[in-house]
Amino acid sequence: MNIASALEWVESTDLSTAIREGALLYPIIGGFHLLAIALFGGMLVMTDLRLLGWAMQRRTVSDILEQFRLWKRAGFALVASSGLLLAWAEPLKLYRSPSFWAKMALLVSVGVHALVFRNGVYENAKALDEGLTPQAKLAAALSLILWAGLIVTGRLIAFDT
Amino acid sequence: MSADSFFEWLTTTPWAKAMNGPEWAFPLVESLHFIGLALSVGTIAIVDLRLLGIAVRRQSNSELAADLNIWTRIGLALMLVTGPLMFSADAVNYHHNPAFQFKMVCLSLALVFHFTIHSRATCPTTPPLLAKLSGAVSLALWISVVAAGRMIAFV
Repeated sequence: MNIASALEWVESTDLSTAIREGALLYPIIGGFHLLAIALFGGMLVMTDLRLLGWAMQRRTVSDILEQFRLWKRAGFALVASSGLLLAWAEPLKLYRSPSFWAKMALLVSVGVHALVFRNGVYENAKALDEGLTPQAKLAAALSLILWAGLIVTGRLIAFDT
Repeated sequence: MSADSFFEWLTTTPWAKAMNGPEWAFPLVESLHFIGLALSVGTIAIVDLRLLGIAVRRQSNSELAADLNIWTRIGLALMLVTGPLMFSADAVNYHHNPAFQFKMVCLSLALVFHFTIHSRATCPTTPPLLAKLSGAVSLALWISVVAAGRMIAFV
């Protein structure tokens, strides 16, 4: 089965049709996606700002990372699952959208970022309590740039024809 | 001058023309609006969840509110610049859009609530029940603002 027919199959599923053609389902899932970005995005930004040494300096890095970790994961799960539903509704359109592929490339970069900085920063918070390393600041700055890029490319999808 | 002619004039302003000029202008400003959303509503939601007693419990309400306040304001400032920019690009239509009208009502209530009751609710002397109630009301108001904003494109 080639990609085109696989995507056509996705579009022919009841779920895809329901989201695409229902008057309310698409905006509701889109609203959910956006709300999850608002909630999750705030915690992500504050975590990164703490790693940069710009916010919540009364608290240690490990304290902030521990308190936000679970929420950030839950938020990511919500954003990803609602995003998957939105993509399920119109896979052929997304396949042809350059912004969508740019967004997927950024998403892969987020995964690479997490692997690269895992040992040195995110699982090493106790050591960062002694003082922020250039590596921690780099991780935070890259994280902010990647997520801003995800928002921009995500928004651009609507403008690709 | 009728309301409509004011909104028509708004669409002829230089900034509205800039928004309607290059095709990347609108999505760029909209993206900044979304980044401001994560910063403003995102930090308000953190405080709300703390007021409700379900997140970031190692910090007191007042400590958390004080630490996040500046970032909330930066986010709100970004929203209040990018929002009117997008509005002016197509002011007459937005002005008649029921989702937009609902969003403006919710936004006014949310902003007034935020700078009055909500900011007082984070004081250490606030009774816990009142703090929880403020967190719940604030969350509900901001969720309404975001949801109504999303609906503007669909009504």
